[in-house]
Formats: sequence, structure tokens, C-alpha cells
Amino acid sequence: MEEGLSTPVGTRRSFFVKTTMVLSSLIGISLAIPFIGYVISPALRRRTQDWVALGKVDQLPIDEPQALDYLMTVKDGWQKSQISKGTWAVKHADGQVTVYSPICPHLGCGYRWDRQDRLFKCPCHGSVYDINGAVQAGPAPRPLDTLPSKVENGELYVMYQEFKSGLSKKVEL
Amino acid sequence: MPSRLYQWVDQRLRLKPLEQTLLNEPIPGGASWNYVFGSATLFLFGLQALTGMFLMLYYVPATDHAYDTVQYIQQEVWGGWFIRGLHHWGASGIMVAIGLHMLQVFFDGAYKPPREMMWIIGVMLLALMLGFGFTGYLLPWDQNAYWATQVGINMVGAVPLIGDFIVRVLRAGETLGALTLSRFFAIHVAFLPAAIVMGIMLHLFILRRVGPAGPHDERRAQQGSETFYPRQVYMDAVVMFGVFLVISTLAVLVEFPLADKADPSDHSFVPVPEWYFLFHYQLLKYAPGALGPIATWLLPALFFTGLLLLPFIDRSPERHPSSRPVMVTAGLGFLVIVFTLLGISLQHLYAVPKQDPSLARGIALVEQFKCRTCHRIHGDGANIAPDLSYVADRRPDRNWHIQHFKDPASVSPGSFMPKFPLNDQQINDLTTYMLTLKSG
Repeated sequence: MEEGLSTPVGTRRSFFVKTTMVLSSLIGISLAIPFIGYVISPALRRRTQDWVALGKVDQLPIDEPQALDYLMTVKDGWQKSQISKGTWAVKHADGQVTVYSPICPHLGCGYRWDRQDRLFKCPCHGSVYDINGAVQAGPAPRPLDTLPSKVENGELYVMYQEFKSGLSKKVEL
Repeated sequence: MPSRLYQWVDQRLRLKPLEQTLLNEPIPGGASWNYVFGSATLFLFGLQALTGMFLMLYYVPATDHAYDTVQYIQQEVWGGWFIRGLHHWGASGIMVAIGLHMLQVFFDGAYKPPREMMWIIGVMLLALMLGFGFTGYLLPWDQNAYWATQVGINMVGAVPLIGDFIVRVLRAGETLGALTLSRFFAIHVAFLPAAIVMGIMLHLFILRRVGPAGPHDERRAQQGSETFYPRQVYMDAVVMFGVFLVISTLAVLVEFPLADKADPSDHSFVPVPEWYFLFHYQLLKYAPGALGPIATWLLPALFFTGLLLLPFIDRSPERHPSSRPVMVTAGLGFLVIVFTLLGISLQHLYAVPKQDPSLARGIALVEQFKCRTCHRIHGDGANIAPDLSYVADRRPDRNWHIQHFKDPASVSPGSFMPKFPLNDQQINDLTTYMLTLKSG
């Protein structure tokens, strides 16, 4: 196409071209920053956890794992909901309490305490743990996951955590 | 490096001819700041589309979640308030840009042959854009959204014969609710975007087929033409950048808070439409009784029909404004009416809160003396003593309230309301508030 009479040439032309590029880049950058932050910010946010009361330590039998449930308020994005979480708590002879996450470290099923065999057994893939959480049989890559717990004024508190399944090490989600 | 990449792609796709068609479009009479409004509108539309997509990452179009998700975007997501602000102010910006674009085309006579179709598509684009504004307004599901949409939908009901049916279809039933929200959402994010993208493409296609109108001045047009790139592109970029600065500054400085969550039982809420609907809102006040339908739908319908038919009503080929006194006067007259109505409406809106300081003190006293421990006012408070939401309907007499506050049992025998230690000014302020609590 033939150039029109007043179409700018030379340095004047390159001024228009460069200004156009600079201005559009500025718009692009000032949009890209908030957009990226907006998209990735929930991914960077760590869950903040509080201690939740499980019950009186006195009421736990010694060396007999108990399934203890509790209610906790969970913030799931813009939703707040009360959900029930389970744990397995074991009071040892010395009065110390170990609280296990109720999720099998193999692939995330829920396991049970078998009173006859005195073993934790996972029904999904047959992982078996003893009362100390050590693997006795099955495909489990690591012992049962313990949860942070403490006793204050006779009340047992736990902090809920979840761990990646299938790894030989305990890695928090 | 970019040029080598470009060469590589060009060897395969032969981009040069495409580049020629896109950038070397001749503009009669040369590039001009008068021609930037269309590009500014297109830019703002792109900004709306982008920010809208990002808002959808967190928004949920259901009555029990919509409000919470918008609040979550506004308060908790990083940059969410900014992106929502851009979307809000961008919507206003697009109305301004369209307005200026249409005025330029109107006063320049650029809608005349052979560009009639471009004008008609443009008017349809305006209608679609108003549709975006109307459907988008409901989505935050706050009081303003709910009640303004209620009013908007009811206005459609004034159309004879089919009005009632259209209202039911818009609401998806008897009342404004969950189904209304989901269909407004679908219209806003799927149906309207599809329609408007086709409209925009058609608008631009026609522009490229018939070419830009150029100046209305014959001599200037004859001086020759200039290619679209680089000077017109540069002018468009400068204006887009300016528009972006204004919109982002507004998004940062002027917060756009949510009202309370939509409460269909609270009839005391006075909704306000977006400013670009305000002139029409004001017009409705001047159309009492039987004249109502004329203002609600007949005038808008005539206005849009007139706009659509404009190229066929104004048939003279003359483009210079000084040779078209009737059209120019009509256009200016329309502007004067719209801006006068808008001005009056804004004046009324901003006058309301300043009206009576006594009222504000009265509201504060209700909090101070914890009246809601026994009384309920618009859904808030206990249900032990009478509900005060519409107390002025039952007790319109100022003296009754004053006497009642001094000694409740004296005018309301058997009342167990205590005598509060109120001074005369406090009694007066509380009474002022009580008298505003009415349904009318």
C-alpha cells in the first residue's frame, strides 16, 4: 500500500512507535502484578492452627487407644464451617499421651484399632502398626503420624495437621 | 531476537500482508485525537473482560454465598479490592467512553451513508452494554443490588401485555431470588459477552470495509490520508494509558463498599441505581400516575428506535454540523435534558444525609440506651416490646412520642418500658428518628 502524505517517517515515526510500546507495557505490568498476586495468594497462605481441647486426660485408659473426636472451625476460602475431626489418643503407663492423626500414612485411608490383635489396621491396603505407631506389616512407608499435643490443667489439647501420604518422611500439607 | 523470531514465523505464515492490512489502513485527513473514543471503549471492554474473568475465580453465583465471596475478594484476596475496583469503575468508564464515541459520530455526521450499518450495530452494542450494567449490578447480592434490581425489573413490568411475562422470565419466577441471581450471572458472563464480541467484530469489520469517515470538512479530507500506524495507534495508546490511570486511581482512592447482605424482608432500604441510569431514575419522578408507563418504557423504547433509525431519519448527505441545525439542536437538547436530570438527581441524593443532624443523634441514642434489647427495628433486635420498624405508621404524632419518652405508662397504659433519664434534646432526637420509621 502506498504511504499517505502525512504518515510520519524517521525519528518522528520511531518516537510514536516507542511511546506506544512503553505505554502499553506500563498498562500490562500494572495489571499483571495484581492479577498474579490475586491468583497465587491463596496458594501461599499457610493454615493457622489453634490448640483444640480433646477431653480430660484422667478419663483415658492406659495403653488402650481411644478414638477422640472434636469439632473445629475450618476456614475453607470464604466458607467457615464446623467439622468433626478424629484422632487416636494413647495414654502410656507413665501418663504421657500420644495423639495420632487418624489418616493412614500410606494413601490416606482411615485405620482402626483391633482390640484382639492389639494393632492398628488399615482396611484399604493392609498396613498394620503397633501401639507405638511402628509399621508391622503392609505397604506403609512410615510410622503413624503423631500430632502436636499438650496437657494443661488435666485437659488434653491437640493441634490438627495433615501430612502428605506415601512418603517415607512426615511432610506437613 | 524478537525480530528473528518474527522472521521465522513470517516465513511460514506470511504475516506481512496481514500487517499491511491491519496497520496501514488509510485515515482520511490524517490521525486525530477525535478518533480515539472507539479505541478507548474497546480498551475498557478488554479491561472489563479481564478483570471479570479474575473475579470469577472466587465469585459464587448463589444467594447464600455470593455476598460472602464478594466480601472475600474485597477483604482477603491479595489485590482483590483493586481488581473489583477496576471492574466497578471500568463499567462507569465504558459508559463515558461510549457516550463520547457516539457524540463524536453524531456531531460529525459519521453515521451517514455508507456507514449506517456501523451505527446500527453501535446502538445495539450500547444496549448490550447497558445489559451488562444491569445484570452485573445484582451479582454482589447486597441490599443495593437486590433492591435496585427489584426496581429495574418492575419497570419492565410497565410494558403493556407482555410486561408481566417478561418480568417473570427475568426473575425466573414470582420473586427475585436464587434463580434470578444465577440467570443474571449466566447472562453477564456468558450470553452477553458472546453477543457483544460478535457485535464488536461486526462493527470493526464494517469499519474496515467502508473505511473511517474522516473529517466532516471537505478541504481537510482532501489534503490526503495517513496510515493508522504509527500516529493514530500512538494517540490511541496515550488515551488508553490516560483512561487506565484514571480508572486505577479511582479504584485505589474511592472505595466501593458493599452494603449489607440482601434482605428481602427489609423494605426500608432505598436503592440507588448506577449514575448512568440516574437521569432516567429522576425522570420517573416527573411522571405521576397514568403518565408513569410513558417514562418507564415508552420514552426509552422511542429513544432506542430513534437511535437505530437515525441514519434513515436524517437523510441529507451533509456532514458539517453548521449545515445540520435541526440534528445538532436535537442532540444538544438531549444532552441538556440528560445532564439537568442527572444534576437534580445527584443533588437530591447527596442532600439526604445532610438533612437533619437530629436524626443521626437519635439513631446513636438508640444504640446508647440499647433499645434493641427489647425492640426490633428492621430485623435487628429482640422481640419483647413492640417492633419499631414502622412505628410512625401507627404513631405519627410527635407529641405522643415526646410524652411517651417522658413517661411511657402515661400514654400507653400497662407499658413496662422504664422511664429513661433523657433530657429534652435527647427526647427530641429520638422522636425525630421514630417519625422516620414508616413504610411510605
